Amino acid sequence: MIISDYKMALASIRSARWRSSLTMLGIIIGISSVVTIASLGEGLKKQVSEQINQLGGNVLTIRSGNVVSKNSDGSVASVNPLALFSASTLTDQDVASIQKLDGVSAVAPMSLITNSIGYEDREMNNVYVVSSTPDLNVVLQDKVNFGAFFIPEDTNENYAVIGTSIAEELFGGVNPVGQTFTISGTNFLVRGVHEPFQAGVLSTIGIDLNYSIIIPPATGKRISENRAQIAQILVQVSDQKRLDVVLLELQHELRTNHKGQNNFTILKQEELANVSDDIINAATAVISGIAAISLIVGGIGIMNTLLVSVSERTREIGIRKAVGATNRQILRQFLMEGLVLSLVGGVVGIALAVAGNFLLRIYTDFRPVITPSIILIALGTAVTIGVIFAVMPALQAARKHPIEALRNE
Amino acid sequence: MAVIELQEVSKLYGFGDATTLALDEVDLHIETGEFVAIMGPSGSGKTTLLNIIGLLDKPTHGEYVLDTRYVSRLRSGQQARARRDKIGFVFQSANLLPRLNVLENVALPLAYKGTLPVRRLKLASDMLERVGLRDKEYFYPKHLSGGQIQRVAIARALINNPTIIIADEPTGNLDSGNSKIVMELLSEIHRSGNTVVMVTHNPELTRYANRLLYMHDGTIVGDEKTKLGEVAKGIKNVYFTDESSVEEHLAHGVATIMREVPPKELSSKKPKLPKAQTKKPRTRKRSYKRSKK
Repeated sequence: MIISDYKMALASIRSARWRSSLTMLGIIIGISSVVTIASLGEGLKKQVSEQINQLGGNVLTIRSGNVVSKNSDGSVASVNPLALFSASTLTDQDVASIQKLDGVSAVAPMSLITNSIGYEDREMNNVYVVSSTPDLNVVLQDKVNFGAFFIPEDTNENYAVIGTSIAEELFGGVNPVGQTFTISGTNFLVRGVHEPFQAGVLSTIGIDLNYSIIIPPATGKRISENRAQIAQILVQVSDQKRLDVVLLELQHELRTNHKGQNNFTILKQEELANVSDDIINAATAVISGIAAISLIVGGIGIMNTLLVSVSERTREIGIRKAVGATNRQILRQFLMEGLVLSLVGGVVGIALAVAGNFLLRIYTDFRPVITPSIILIALGTAVTIGVIFAVMPALQAARKHPIEALRNE
Repeated sequence: MAVIELQEVSKLYGFGDATTLALDEVDLHIETGEFVAIMGPSGSGKTTLLNIIGLLDKPTHGEYVLDTRYVSRLRSGQQARARRDKIGFVFQSANLLPRLNVLENVALPLAYKGTLPVRRLKLASDMLERVGLRDKEYFYPKHLSGGQIQRVAIARALINNPTIIIADEPTGNLDSGNSKIVMELLSEIHRSGNTVVMVTHNPELTRYANRLLYMHDGTIVGDEKTKLGEVAKGIKNVYFTDESSVEEHLAHGVATIMREVPPKELSSKKPKLPKAQTKKPRTRKRSYKRSKK
């Protein structure tokens, strides 16, 4: 019976092609916009979490100063931008004492030396020249694509590991490994080139590694004439389960070093990830909600079409009842019609959203992701709307008195 | 055995002053295998009677026993199922669903019964063979002539092997040639043992029936057994009258008639109007034919 209901619904929808397609348009627009927005949100979440997690979940970042103040539950209460401009409170002594801690597998202090480099007659001023220890390579999970990272013995050598964007922009097509370039007038040899990193600002590492040049620590001090300050320390914990324990120990150690002052901030990757997920989820929900209003409009369209259909087909309802259709069977027939309208609308809407996603991926930086749950929710919403808005016309059809329906020509 | 038994069945429409008495305590027995023709002027209650017999409507008062089962107080779902299993309808026009082909139209009652698609199409095909339209199975109603449509409707009415076939002016929209074909088909169905109840305005068609009911003002005023193949004689003797003359009507307008025709009492003490009146000497004769206008 359900199959014949479905066939009847299709036949009736086909017989009023224009009206049905216009009706479906409401659902199509609604579903495709909701799906697109949800997939944009999902894509954004994925992009952000990739950026955040490029260091791995077992890395803590220690920053100088109190960049953010937190509530008692650990959530970020406010941001203190001035802390970024103060002299760094992190010292080599901090690095040394962190290294001694149990469960710490790598400590990479990072100092920002300068922003300009030169190669032949070219110059780049938008780069980060960072001095750090070979432990940085461990923290970054050995992402050197060509050449190699420098080793502890190279601490005073003029070696550099450069980001992929620098390799492309400064050296063009030439393989930069073994080439020399200048930082503050000093020649440096390219030891290695990093593979491309997910570009992003939300990472706790704070800099774009594609535009970074990593040099050994002693070299950094030398060329900055000892003015280099430790901007942040990346600490890799050997066992992620002990992250919180190590964090507490770190806090204690640093407070001791800093004479009981809390003039540093320790950031966890997942905290950032949670905060960003919450923000994106909220934004997605709000925008999807607005888009969902169009679904309600689409639903009203379905109701309208079905009401017209019911009154046009009064005679048909009469004949059906005369040959033995019960009220429930008539009800089901019209509900099915609403269902088919909304389901077809939903499927077309999703197809449109998929096509839209391809275009977005090709022409914009967005990376929307359609997950099975988005599709299921979208179809579920479409079907629910179709059925809900079909109830009234279907009831009207079912309640028609057979004689009055038959009298209708 | 009576397949249809109406016991003092009345049907009222409307409320208050606008109440109309469409059927007035009708008693009727129809035996299995009868071909009953119902005649009468417009508004005489033929169609109301047919609707009640066909379970499309419920009587306001009285009982209806269909095939030994009391059916007048059934809930609408049960009524629909009884209609599906016991009754086949042939209407005057627009009998078929335009969006379904002939085969699907004939199979429709089986669909509501829950018969599987392959089987119901097979049964429908066999039934179309019986009405001589197997070659039109995949045609749509708009491609058929009026006579063919009525034959498809008859096939549909027969598909559930119903106890009675109800035909409401089945030839009303047909020319004489097609009328004859449709009536021959109904007659054949009757000969094979089915009960047929048919409303008609055409006295010629009474030759297919073996019983004629004549209705007036919601009452059966004439009930005669007729001979198959002959036009019923009795219908010519059924008249009804009013006392005033045409001249008076012309002089005083509708008000005169209104005075003379007392309003019917709708309580249980209903006036026994028809049979006595029909036998009165007539001052003005109006045959059923007038109502054809």
